[in-house]
Amino acid sequence: MAEQKPEDELRIGVYICHCGSNIAGVIDPAEVAEWATHLPGVVRATDTLYACADSGQTLIKEDIKKYNLNRVVVSACSVRMHETTFRAAVAEAGLNPFLMEMANIREQCTWAHGHDKEGALKKAKDLTASAIAKARFLNPLTMIKVPVTKRAMVIGGGVAGISAALDLADQGIETILVEKEPTIGGVMAQLNKTFPTMDCSI
Amino acid sequence: MVDAARHPKIDVRTFTNVERVEGYVGNFKVQLREKARHVLADRCNGCGECSKVCPIEVPNYFEMNLAPRKAAYVAMSQSVPLRYTIDENACIHCYKCVDACGALEAIDFSQEDKLIWEDIGSIVVATGFNHFDPSVIPEYGYSRYPNVITAMEMERLNNSAGPTTGNLIRPSDQKNPQRLAIINCVGSRDKRFNPWCSNFCCMYAIKNAVLLKQMNPTLEISIYYMDIRTPSKGYEEFYDRARGMGIRFIQGRPSLITEDPQTKNLFIHSEDITLGKISELEYDMVMLNQAAVPQPDVDSVSSVLNITQSPGGWFMEYHPKLRPVDSPTDGIFLAGACQGLKDIPSSVSSGLATASRAGRILHSDEWEIEPIIAQVWEDRCVMADGKICGVCARACPYGAIIIEEGKAASVTVAKCHGCGGCVAECPHNAITQMHFTDAQVFSQMRALLAENPQEKIFAFRCHWCSYGGADLAGTSHFDYSANERGIRVMCSARMDPDFIYEAFRLGAGAVLYSGCHPQDCHYITGQKVGATRADRLQKLFEKLEMTPGRFRIEWISAAEGDKYSRVINEMQKVIDAIPHEQLMTEIERLKPEMEKRARRMYETPGMDKAVTYSDAMVKAINTKEVKNGA
Repeated sequence: MAEQKPEDELRIGVYICHCGSNIAGVIDPAEVAEWATHLPGVVRATDTLYACADSGQTLIKEDIKKYNLNRVVVSACSVRMHETTFRAAVAEAGLNPFLMEMANIREQCTWAHGHDKEGALKKAKDLTASAIAKARFLNPLTMIKVPVTKRAMVIGGGVAGISAALDLADQGIETILVEKEPTIGGVMAQLNKTFPTMDCSI
Repeated sequence: MVDAARHPKIDVRTFTNVERVEGYVGNFKVQLREKARHVLADRCNGCGECSKVCPIEVPNYFEMNLAPRKAAYVAMSQSVPLRYTIDENACIHCYKCVDACGALEAIDFSQEDKLIWEDIGSIVVATGFNHFDPSVIPEYGYSRYPNVITAMEMERLNNSAGPTTGNLIRPSDQKNPQRLAIINCVGSRDKRFNPWCSNFCCMYAIKNAVLLKQMNPTLEISIYYMDIRTPSKGYEEFYDRARGMGIRFIQGRPSLITEDPQTKNLFIHSEDITLGKISELEYDMVMLNQAAVPQPDVDSVSSVLNITQSPGGWFMEYHPKLRPVDSPTDGIFLAGACQGLKDIPSSVSSGLATASRAGRILHSDEWEIEPIIAQVWEDRCVMADGKICGVCARACPYGAIIIEEGKAASVTVAKCHGCGGCVAECPHNAITQMHFTDAQVFSQMRALLAENPQEKIFAFRCHWCSYGGADLAGTSHFDYSANERGIRVMCSARMDPDFIYEAFRLGAGAVLYSGCHPQDCHYITGQKVGATRADRLQKLFEKLEMTPGRFRIEWISAAEGDKYSRVINEMQKVIDAIPHEQLMTEIERLKPEMEKRARRMYETPGMDKAVTYSDAMVKAINTKEVKNGA
């Protein structure tokens, strides 16, 4: 395991996204940012209109250099949405991408608690604190590189499968097209003409 | 079809099933079962002599069972590949086909199913859909009234390559109908059967009407519909064209079809919403435009490929808007209707899209995967001291942990998928998971439960499903209690009992233990490991007389945003129903037991720093709150 850096070296940057009005319509991102400045290890906390936009990413990248940040926390949307975006952004600024942590204050906060703004604000603060706490213990990691077998398999020989197989094969990729019936063609082969052009199906 | 068969880079394997899929992106191993067709593919020239002499006839599925085929058959004359198959279930072993085949010697009754392993870099799943069987709708009389047919039967009846060479006849008397009705949404948009819109059937009804009208301009055609949906290019214009041809559109869902027993003519009872009248109109023939439904083997396909289903049984995409053809498993892509119903242009588009997505991987010499894997602290593993353990290896769904006597357990990096099951199962805290270490999770918990923990619903969610379900609850704006505080781990297998004890020790009002449904698990059997543990925890908390509902186990898929929201709200009600004093007393009463049980976690390397940091964090949070309140 990579060695933990001592706490006195910890320099966390925290970015609270407005996401236009998606987040800022329910809570005040500036208040969360101000609050986060008091948490241990945080040297920079600010709100940003769209963290994922060029301007937001540039802000983070510049701050990494300006404040010598070694951890970044982005309180914005779901990790399923933008984790790769922010990992790439911090990597561009020379930080290991795994030293970035997200707090999901959109899908799992403002979008779900529009009826309870006070509750949403408390939760946004807690989720941000939780991400900061995790960030404190993040380790730099390196992606694992695996070899690639340059063969494709398409399961199902209907119109979608045939299209996929033909396009893969035209790219020069050896492709196995698997069909459970004795013939390929699927439902499409059973059809007469097709809409809206009334051309034949096979 | 023919292009695919003759493409030098495409190997078409028909009459073949996928049995097993192992491995990971770039490195899948797929086991195929090539079913015995009792015909040698390299010798059969498709002459059909075997079929001519075959004395057995069975219904041909390709003709919707409206025409027979032989036991030695091809489904249609344009079959690709044009190779005959001997239907094992129908064959009486008279061997006339063997004689007819003669010197070609293409028929081989000794042939058995073959199991073949293939090395594959990327997989496209395009398993399609099935047709709803309308015989379960009693009021339409399908299968009782001969002249009520399905859309797919109509398709074969008006097809020049079909059993009647395109002559549309009534099954009851083989006469050409003069009055035809088409009923839309049969089994679709019907909560008794399938709530969804089947996507292409409106256009499909119009297509058949136009086609039949072109073939026989005197045929009267009425289409019963709820709404006509024509959202793609050229579709509305096509609908206009149909209206211009005199095809009648009646807005209303028929309530009943009755039959004249003499003439076998049919009466459709329906409301005509446009006219505001009830109608009972007579027809010679009725076509039921049936719903499209998932394939009957969708469950086994999902478990073989480890891909989740959305409600209804369609395969779940990684992200509905941004990654619509990616499955949640790296390197597996979804094309066509198996992901959600599509018409032909959309199916083709999604097929082509998967080729592009898979191409990204297949044109690379190597592919990067996340280093979120397990690591053993060798000095803590008791195997190194010559003791017998191996709990981690038993929990691993991938066989990624090597156990040798006298040596610490070791993780094969390329095989580890990072579920974290071994980490939570290890009785000696000798394994950690990168990016989801005990110290990280503990620090998150402390921050989330720093203030008024008794009010909080603390939710452990797996990355692939229940975290996705929570996302969907938000995306759909299904409001739920803002007292929920969640932690994401990769799999419910990672939800260490120590985490649960610690959450209760910290005073959480309620704790949710949630992950995917068993068949959806991203890590084969990870959910099973988590579920077994969760049941054990549930029993313990019952024994400790914890108020029922404070600990809850729920399996929530990424498609079940409504469920996530409902579960959290129900847990809020559980907390609300306990008087404050009583709740605080219960939390205090259970604290020593929880502390005793969670103690082991504190022995994990790195935890001393986590405790120090968390103390500072909790202090900062609470101080700040006082300042805000002042």
